[in-house]
Amino acid sequence: MLESPRRKPLSGALMFGVGVGWVVVYIVCLLVVKETDVPRGVGIALAFAPILPFLAFLRMLGRVSREADELHQRVQLEALAFAYPAMMVLLMTLGLLELVVPLSPDDFSLRHLWAYMPALYFAGLALAWRRYK
Amino acid sequence: MTNRLRVLRAERGWSQQELAERVGVSRQTINAVETERYEPSLSLAFKLAAIFATTIEELFEPGR
Repeated sequence: MLESPRRKPLSGALMFGVGVGWVVVYIVCLLVVKETDVPRGVGIALAFAPILPFLAFLRMLGRVSREADELHQRVQLEALAFAYPAMMVLLMTLGLLELVVPLSPDDFSLRHLWAYMPALYFAGLALAWRRYK
Repeated sequence: MTNRLRVLRAERGWSQQELAERVGVSRQTINAVETERYEPSLSLAFKLAAIFATTIEELFEPGR
């Protein structure tokens, strides 16, 4: 069986750098939009700006996932299989809750809820690794 | 499924890392297969059998 030639593996530092770059762009855009009086058009452009570094990060993430060995792919799948429904349940619960209890937008706006996603993903990752270690 | 991976690896004096490099997976994968927490794909099972010059049936046994 012929093996396809292997590409040079992505450096962890490079991936971390691109990930940090994405978050920095997001924070800068957030601060500018929130704290300054930018024109509406500029504000909209800034709201979409973090998508570009995110796409670079996503491309790297896709490559790392494809090149990971089978156990790592399985662990990633199990982590996502935990995080995705858990996030859905969280959103559904908050949706129901806000019908009866006023939820403060300072804590539960769309600007804050995304942070639960990586937290749930890492929880799923820890649970999955516990099974195979 | 049970397997004889640890025994065969020990006979050759290879570390988990060495075996992992030979078959192109991570050390964690070899460890998970050896401890029978993870059942490898057919492709990896073939590679492991080839490395130890044996057959999949000799290496893995259905059971438990």
